[in-house]
Amino acid sequence: MSSQLTNMTDGSTFPVGSQKAPLRERLAPWAFRAPLIFMVLFFAIPMAMTVVFSVFERTMFWMEPGFTLFSYENFFFSARLTNFLNSMKYSLISVAICFVFGFPIAVFVRKSIPQVAQHRVVLLFILPFMVSEIIRVFALRPVLQRNGLINTTLLDLGIIDEPITALLYTHTGVVIGEVLSFLPFIVFSGFLAMEAVPKFIFEVCDDLGVGPWRRFKDVILPLAAPGIFAGSVFIFVNGLGVALLPNILGGAGAVNAGLIATQAITALDFPLAMAVSAIMMATLMTLLWIGHRLFDLTKILTPLS
Amino acid sequence: MNEYDNIWLHRLKWTYLLLVVLTLMTPVMYVMYISFNANGFGANEYAFTLEFYRLIFSDELLIGALRWTLMLAVVVTMIAVPMALLAAKYYKAADNKLFPVFLLLAPLFVPPDILGSALLVFFKNLNFTFVWLGDQLGTSLFDSWFRLSFLTATIGLIIYTIPYSFVVILITMGRYRPEQTEAARACGANGWRAFWDIEFPQIRAGVFSACAFTVILVFNEYTRTSLLKGGFDTFTTVLISQMLNTGMSGQSYAMSALVSFVAIAAIGSIIIFTMLRAETLSRVARAKAEPVMS
Repeated sequence: MSSQLTNMTDGSTFPVGSQKAPLRERLAPWAFRAPLIFMVLFFAIPMAMTVVFSVFERTMFWMEPGFTLFSYENFFFSARLTNFLNSMKYSLISVAICFVFGFPIAVFVRKSIPQVAQHRVVLLFILPFMVSEIIRVFALRPVLQRNGLINTTLLDLGIIDEPITALLYTHTGVVIGEVLSFLPFIVFSGFLAMEAVPKFIFEVCDDLGVGPWRRFKDVILPLAAPGIFAGSVFIFVNGLGVALLPNILGGAGAVNAGLIATQAITALDFPLAMAVSAIMMATLMTLLWIGHRLFDLTKILTPLS
Repeated sequence: MNEYDNIWLHRLKWTYLLLVVLTLMTPVMYVMYISFNANGFGANEYAFTLEFYRLIFSDELLIGALRWTLMLAVVVTMIAVPMALLAAKYYKAADNKLFPVFLLLAPLFVPPDILGSALLVFFKNLNFTFVWLGDQLGTSLFDSWFRLSFLTATIGLIIYTIPYSFVVILITMGRYRPEQTEAARACGANGWRAFWDIEFPQIRAGVFSACAFTVILVFNEYTRTSLLKGGFDTFTTVLISQMLNTGMSGQSYAMSALVSFVAIAAIGSIIIFTMLRAETLSRVARAKAEPVMS
């Protein structure tokens, strides 16, 4: 008996015939499933429920069960749709800028930096990302405004005669904010994506005398496409959905889906907020589905497996 | 051509990389610079002061908010990191990896305002349902389960932080060889001991990094917290309401700078720690690899 107890406290074996071991064995798989159950209950279901809540009837302060497409009408047949489409355009511009500036960094890290140091270099890009996004966006105001850092520096250097006013409270300001907020993500996803491009491929291209542009277009791009796509979708969707960017840096007309949703909640129009959320989720799902069909997005996870 | 053949091209690429990091950090560093100026933003003369920082720590409202934020950070970390660890272990063993990975990484792609709005309406409806259920059963036991509160903010923040912890732990787990667990089990260790004595020491760095990331993310988060928190305030909600109501004051700059200092110090410590650890490990490996001279 004492040896049985010793074994149990020791934790190495369980006494034969004990009820405790089988129960623990039965419960263990559920412990591993607990995070997934939590995510289904508090993430998947609430996001799916946005579709249901979006067709509820609006009341004075809340909403009641019913079926109406008024919220969707309110979105699609008003200036909101124009604003949404405009924010799509500017988000695409941000994606392109982030790709042009960020992806070469991912290629450089994978190709030219010793493997042991690669993760540390990528950590450098986590540094700005770990500072609160809202603080980084607010911090752009004193940098971009009329008497801000950029204008005073350019004036001091004699490059401009008058302060540039287009940097803040315009669509340009929103794009600058999006690029500075989301550029690290194209570096991270590009870094993961470049795992699919082994170093010897660069050597093969060099041996064949292939130029950098052709190497990029015909070799790197097709192999790294899943990661590039995932990073681009992230930037695009967040450009559409992060309200504080147009709220703090944008001027009149700089309105995205996130801002429409938060404005709807402030106005106690909950069905409209849910309709916007549902539209955003549909946009995200469609993009991910297209990406998965075209590039098989599970390939990005190979380095993590 | 080998990259190292053209050392200037290599240096140019490094310069570009560091320049991009510097550009990303410039707004934050500029805010830090302004926070020490007694004359505030845009003044012709720069006079160094710590007065704005002193004001932060003498403000009762801010100290209360700081306390709530720390409590939220600790609770979220204590729940989210073990959950991410369990999820990572499940993912490693799962045959169908698409479903768990989609579920665990999808919150990364959902913008904060959209996720916050969806959870806000979901919790309010859930609360109404529970109150109705309580009324039917003649009890008030369920009345405050899902009222906007510390609990709802915690749930929202777990959903927000779990993808980051999951990825960090999964990357560390990539270096662990599962044969070691099999060997431990073959030696008579149960699942827990095989994990705690063999696997955990090897993935500890990833788990601690996940804890650090989670604390920083919770400390920095504004949108989801402000939508789901109910009656209390956090450091960022006080900061943002001050910024929106009264504009950027000296104290606002100091508060922003303080949050940034904490985050940079934490990440800087992780980078330095991993570099020192890698250096120590490689020194040990080199010492072992050296031939024994007789």
